[in-house]
Amino acid sequence: MEFQTVVFYLFGAIAVAAALGVILVRNPVHAALCLVLVFFSSAAIWLLLEAEFLAITLVLVYVGAVMVLFLFVVMMLDINVDRLREGFWSNLPLGLLVAAVLVVEMLLVLTGDVFRQASSPPALPTDASNTESIGRVLYTLYSYPFELAAMILLVAMVAAVSLTLRKRKDVRYLDPAEQVKVKAADRLRVISMPAEKE
Amino acid sequence: MMEATWQTLATWFGPTWPAVWVLLKIIALLIPLMLAVAYLTFAERKVIGYMQVRIGPNRVGPKGWLQPIADALKLLFKEVIFPTQANKGLYVIGPIMALTPALLAWVAIPFGENTWIANLNAGVLFVLAVTSLEVYGVIIAGWASNSKYPFLGAMRASAQMVSYEVAMGFGLISVLLVAGSLNFIDIVHSQAQGRFAEMGLGFLSWNWLPLLPLAVVYFISGVAETNRAPFDVVEGESEIVAGHMVEYSGMAFALFFLAEYANMILVSFLTSIFFFGGWLSPVGFLPDGLHWLLIKAAVFLFLFLWFRATFPRFRYDHIMRLGWKVFVPITLIWLFVVTVWLLSPLSIWR
Amino acid sequence: MVENYFPVFVFLVVALLFSMAPLLLGRLLGPSRPDPEKLSPYECGFEPFEDARIRFDVRYYLIAILFILFDLEIAFLFPWAVVFKDMIAEGAHAFYVFGTVMVFLAVLVIGYIVEWKNGALDWE
Repeated sequence: MEFQTVVFYLFGAIAVAAALGVILVRNPVHAALCLVLVFFSSAAIWLLLEAEFLAITLVLVYVGAVMVLFLFVVMMLDINVDRLREGFWSNLPLGLLVAAVLVVEMLLVLTGDVFRQASSPPALPTDASNTESIGRVLYTLYSYPFELAAMILLVAMVAAVSLTLRKRKDVRYLDPAEQVKVKAADRLRVISMPAEKE
Repeated sequence: MMEATWQTLATWFGPTWPAVWVLLKIIALLIPLMLAVAYLTFAERKVIGYMQVRIGPNRVGPKGWLQPIADALKLLFKEVIFPTQANKGLYVIGPIMALTPALLAWVAIPFGENTWIANLNAGVLFVLAVTSLEVYGVIIAGWASNSKYPFLGAMRASAQMVSYEVAMGFGLISVLLVAGSLNFIDIVHSQAQGRFAEMGLGFLSWNWLPLLPLAVVYFISGVAETNRAPFDVVEGESEIVAGHMVEYSGMAFALFFLAEYANMILVSFLTSIFFFGGWLSPVGFLPDGLHWLLIKAAVFLFLFLWFRATFPRFRYDHIMRLGWKVFVPITLIWLFVVTVWLLSPLSIWR
Repeated sequence: MVENYFPVFVFLVVALLFSMAPLLLGRLLGPSRPDPEKLSPYECGFEPFEDARIRFDVRYYLIAILFILFDLEIAFLFPWAVVFKDMIAEGAHAFYVFGTVMVFLAVLVIGYIVEWKNGALDWE
């Protein structure tokens, strides 16, 4: 499987370069787009690890949805880069602390037993569907975490609505539902009149 | 004869043969696709022309048949403008990001029992994921232009595209439920079974009948996804000129156009495959084949043009209401109906 | 299974090249006569009077957030859609799975109703 190794290094290199781009480029929009590239190349690497469903879902959810929101936010909040830099030194200690925690966590994971296995999982047959394998366990064996996911999504939905929704007073609002329901008879009355003579 | 030719070719190319073979298949797909796109623009002008009692383009070539070629050449020799305030790099990436996903989605589409480039087990999911990337072309183009109309157009377009993706996704879940697979070929196969198919009335066994509301929702969402009339507020010429494409000229503009039309054709093919039996023949005594898929797709493409000639443009708040408050409930209710139907003894999908 | 994705990889490369080629061709074949008026942002003939990148209504973010949540739901339901028919045929756990998914959907319908009642789905 020489070719797969080449593809792995190709996407691995893209992922690393793009990840560096995320933290090094100055323009926040460019950084967000680099992050898109990171997700995309990680999806390709997951695919090489035979995780078809997860890889495509990564593209569908993270690239297709989450990053769209990120882009909306960085594009539209007209972030002033100079103002952001002002807080650099005061926030540095906190940033370093978070970075240190992350590094320790990563080291713990990487030195753990999970990653000491054989380099790649055994190749699945051509017609294997890992969507099906996930489906067989997700709703039976893991039904409890599955319902928890529903609850988390519900909380997220309610939170999003209550945090961002503002009724604007300065707009004239027409309810489209009412407009669609309107019938000709509500707006126009045809009356018959006797003809008038001059 | 054919077999022998392939054999010789395979020995010539040696180990690179699989790659060459895939490349040949890709070329065999891309050339007809590009021709279809070119002549779809021609068909659009002709069809809308006749619907408005005009004759449409008829000057270039016999009866105007060389018009798309002339258009392409003209665009090729036009200047590609880079506005001073634009963000150069992203300005170039915008049209590339619009066209690449529009083409990439085609890799998973089957054209017959054994005619496909990639037969993916998660084909539907793949196409859904790739089409969800199309929004990037619009956002990047709109932002990189650094001009008001493109920016407004991009915002509207992306909010509209993501809204209708929700309805499309929920609609597809029911299709997958009755097919029991994410594979396009299995989805077509599942439509070849049933009481009516055995009676030789295959078209009554296709998904459109039991999933009628979803077929309608899916196709209309497809029209909205591709930002076509009557959902074309993105490029509503009377409001924001041409939306995210305002600053683009020449070939850069042509790429957005190619992407839009390739997506229209894609939506037509997907609707035919999901709900109208793909390459299956509608009646028992006629053989199945690629021509059926093409005919079905052509009918949906005609609908696209018909819509454009018929409906006035929707207002934006109406578009959002239709997506979130009408289509999402319909798909959810029908998802429930299909689930119960599957569990009940009346299930027609054994 | 990975070998199924080999054509996808080739197609990705071809599609990228295919999208870049016209841009290059257009740049090579087309004229290039820059002019300050031509290169200024289009604003119906007016001089652009402020930066184009303005703040936007929060509704756009709300739509994007709701889209993420619904997209996740759809992703959660895909495996179910694939196996449910087989599970019914096998008879094992079909009703249990039905219950699990219906509870999941019910929770999300509650969220949907909350949005609707709060007017999060209206576009003012």
